[in-house]
Amino acid sequence: MLGVLVKRVVNRVYQVVLRPTLACPVSTRGYKGEASDDSRGDLIEIPLPPWTEKDGETMDMKRRRLLFQSRKRGMLENCILLSLFAKKYLNTMSETQLRQYDRLINEPSNDWDIYYWATEAQPVPNVYAGEIMDLLKEFTKNKDQEQRLDAPNLEYLDKGSQ
Amino acid sequence: MLFCAYKPLTNAIVAVKRNVIDCIPRNVLLLNKHSDRQISQYPVVDHHFDAVVVGAGGAGLRAAFGLSEAGFNTACVTKLFPTRSHTVAAQGGINAALGNMEADDWRWHFYDTVKGSDWLGDQDAIHYMTEQAPASVVELENFGMPFSRTEDGKIYQRAFGGQSLKFGKGGQAHRCCCVADRTGHSLLHTLYGRSLRFDTSYFVEYFALDLLMEDGECKGVIAFCMEDGSIHRFRSKNTVIATGGYGRTYFSCTSAHTSTGDGNAMVTRAGLPCQDLEFVQFHPTGIYGAGCLITEGCRGEGGILINSEGERFMERYAPNAKDLASRDVVSRSMTIEIREGRGCGPEKDHVYLQLHHLPPQQLAVRLPGISETAMIFAGVEVTKEPIPVLPTVHYNMGGVPTNYKGQVITHVGGEDKVVPGLYACGEAACASVHGANRLGANSLLDLVVFGRACALTIAETGTPGEKLSPLKPNAGEESVANLDKIRFAEGTIRTSEIRLNMQKTMQNHAAVFRTGDLLKEGCDKMDAIYQSMEDIKTFDRGIVWNTDLVESLELQNLMLNAVQTIHSAEARKESRGAHAREDYQDRMDELDYAKPLAGQEKKSFDQHWRKHTLSTVDIKTGKVTLGYRPVIDRSLDQEECSAIPPAIRSY
Repeated sequence: MLGVLVKRVVNRVYQVVLRPTLACPVSTRGYKGEASDDSRGDLIEIPLPPWTEKDGETMDMKRRRLLFQSRKRGMLENCILLSLFAKKYLNTMSETQLRQYDRLINEPSNDWDIYYWATEAQPVPNVYAGEIMDLLKEFTKNKDQEQRLDAPNLEYLDKGSQ
Repeated sequence: MLFCAYKPLTNAIVAVKRNVIDCIPRNVLLLNKHSDRQISQYPVVDHHFDAVVVGAGGAGLRAAFGLSEAGFNTACVTKLFPTRSHTVAAQGGINAALGNMEADDWRWHFYDTVKGSDWLGDQDAIHYMTEQAPASVVELENFGMPFSRTEDGKIYQRAFGGQSLKFGKGGQAHRCCCVADRTGHSLLHTLYGRSLRFDTSYFVEYFALDLLMEDGECKGVIAFCMEDGSIHRFRSKNTVIATGGYGRTYFSCTSAHTSTGDGNAMVTRAGLPCQDLEFVQFHPTGIYGAGCLITEGCRGEGGILINSEGERFMERYAPNAKDLASRDVVSRSMTIEIREGRGCGPEKDHVYLQLHHLPPQQLAVRLPGISETAMIFAGVEVTKEPIPVLPTVHYNMGGVPTNYKGQVITHVGGEDKVVPGLYACGEAACASVHGANRLGANSLLDLVVFGRACALTIAETGTPGEKLSPLKPNAGEESVANLDKIRFAEGTIRTSEIRLNMQKTMQNHAAVFRTGDLLKEGCDKMDAIYQSMEDIKTFDRGIVWNTDLVESLELQNLMLNAVQTIHSAEARKESRGAHAREDYQDRMDELDYAKPLAGQEKKSFDQHWRKHTLSTVDIKTGKVTLGYRPVIDRSLDQEECSAIPPAIRSY
């Protein structure tokens, strides 16, 4: 009797654990399934030209450029997150902070990495750690539980309407 | 040396040696109506290239790489850095009948795709795509894409929806090849990196404004550089459009804010038609408002959809499958609940996905991404509250019509006619391989195969270094005038307001639930919103890094896509694939395929709906004109692969 029960429990556990993935799916984000680990061969063998800081840009121009680059990202999650972050912090960042932010959003080649670092799903590489990354991580936590339905409209920048 | 005096464009890799022949910037002077405003000056730089590609996503990069490899001096004009194109969001994979997991045949993939398209796909293009698929994947592998492997070292392939063996009779096929969970990124990285070795010139953060058309031939593209506000005319005998989809016409979509249908709009403004824009694919569970995708895995783990009464409503619509019914059934059920007043939230405009009845450890282990995404974008703690969800726009099957070689076509006098000098590939194009409904993991395949096809066709029909035909000196003037008009717009309605009006109208009237009255009302509203663009108000008058200006130009592009989508949907009186109407629930083909065919009389072209919609817009009035062209029912080679005659689509 106990044997039967144990067998049932074990079977149930197996069913749950080894249940085949759904046959009708979609772009499951962050979904690897049974695929082997990422060998990163392309990143190693095909290095892209290194990112360099822009010279001769005024702080104002930097802010304007970073605004565009915060709002236009590779996937929706980053579009919303970075444009809200930019709305809150971009106009009050110091020069050092602007440069940190510039590097953070422009150097990594995979936009998903920025999302994984901000949500603390993956550890932040040392080169991006710093004030801005900390601010971003804190901001992402959404401690005030505000609704983040969409990227904000630009009109908060319209001095004329204030 | 006037060239040296001109400030180098620091954010673009400009191939100084070969291309910039006429680089003395000319100033386009625009006279304004109000005497107190300064005259606007836009320096114009002309470039000559053998080929220009607009867009640097998967399709654009494959085309640019293929062209550069073939020795063509190629420019790639993109508003985003290549690895930041929306292709990077793709984590699924690429379908190809390699046969690594079980015996496979590309003809089975061909069958699945034709059936998936609900017989609106052009079978010659589908033949081309599915036959080329294995070679394309192997080619990518040779370029350096590190596909995930099985233990035997072969490329690992996983199951995906709609893929079967033996023409639907052999069970689930495993055809989807992936690079761990970053297939899209790897594709972009590999192609971008390789193309640089061949000296492709990238013009990054340049916004393409319009095509340069003369006598029905495309002679290049005019774009403006966001970094310094200069205007650039890229003259070329071959222009490839690879600008992606237009999800942003809707309030809720899974696409990035960059999916604004720029290519479709450029083609429309050039007087050419767009095809099948009414076919928009919806995914049942995107987060309300934010639109971020919530994987179907949630429902697989036991998550349920509930209405305002707390009822698990899928039990009524799909008693057996319940919440795991097919995507379009779930989407339509959710919409019916909302329309009948049982929606949730203050505006009763969405439903809830409930996960808090599941054990917290299960959520943490199996669906960690969901908990984070729900907290970040909906402010919801999934162990305590349900997530607000809505069927969300996911993909555009329609776009710029092309033949299977990637050449853009129009339909004149009952015949397809190639537009000289113009090509299109990727989501922006409509070859049409997806027809009325796209299968998962076929999109990345589409990018690679047709990006390559455009490059091959151009290499076949042209030679590098060919002399360009002359272009009118003031070509592109209208585009610059439009840019200036938007930059200094002083109407009364803000860009964001008009955009929200458009998005809400499309969401309410042309989403999953479509019916005659609702569509007609939507058409009238959209026409009015189109007119309201005359009254647009922008606030940033600068020319350098003017995000307001770019977003307003994008809104103009979105508007053209939106009006064509809703008018095409209103006109199509049948249900097919992703276009499902409550008032016309069946497919209307030339023969009734649900009954025996013998003795049936074929309906004439005007009387049935198994045809492609071709839509054009009168830019000034916003009036949409619709035409139709037949679906191509023959494969490229009947001996090699016989075409699949239409049948009732059931799974």
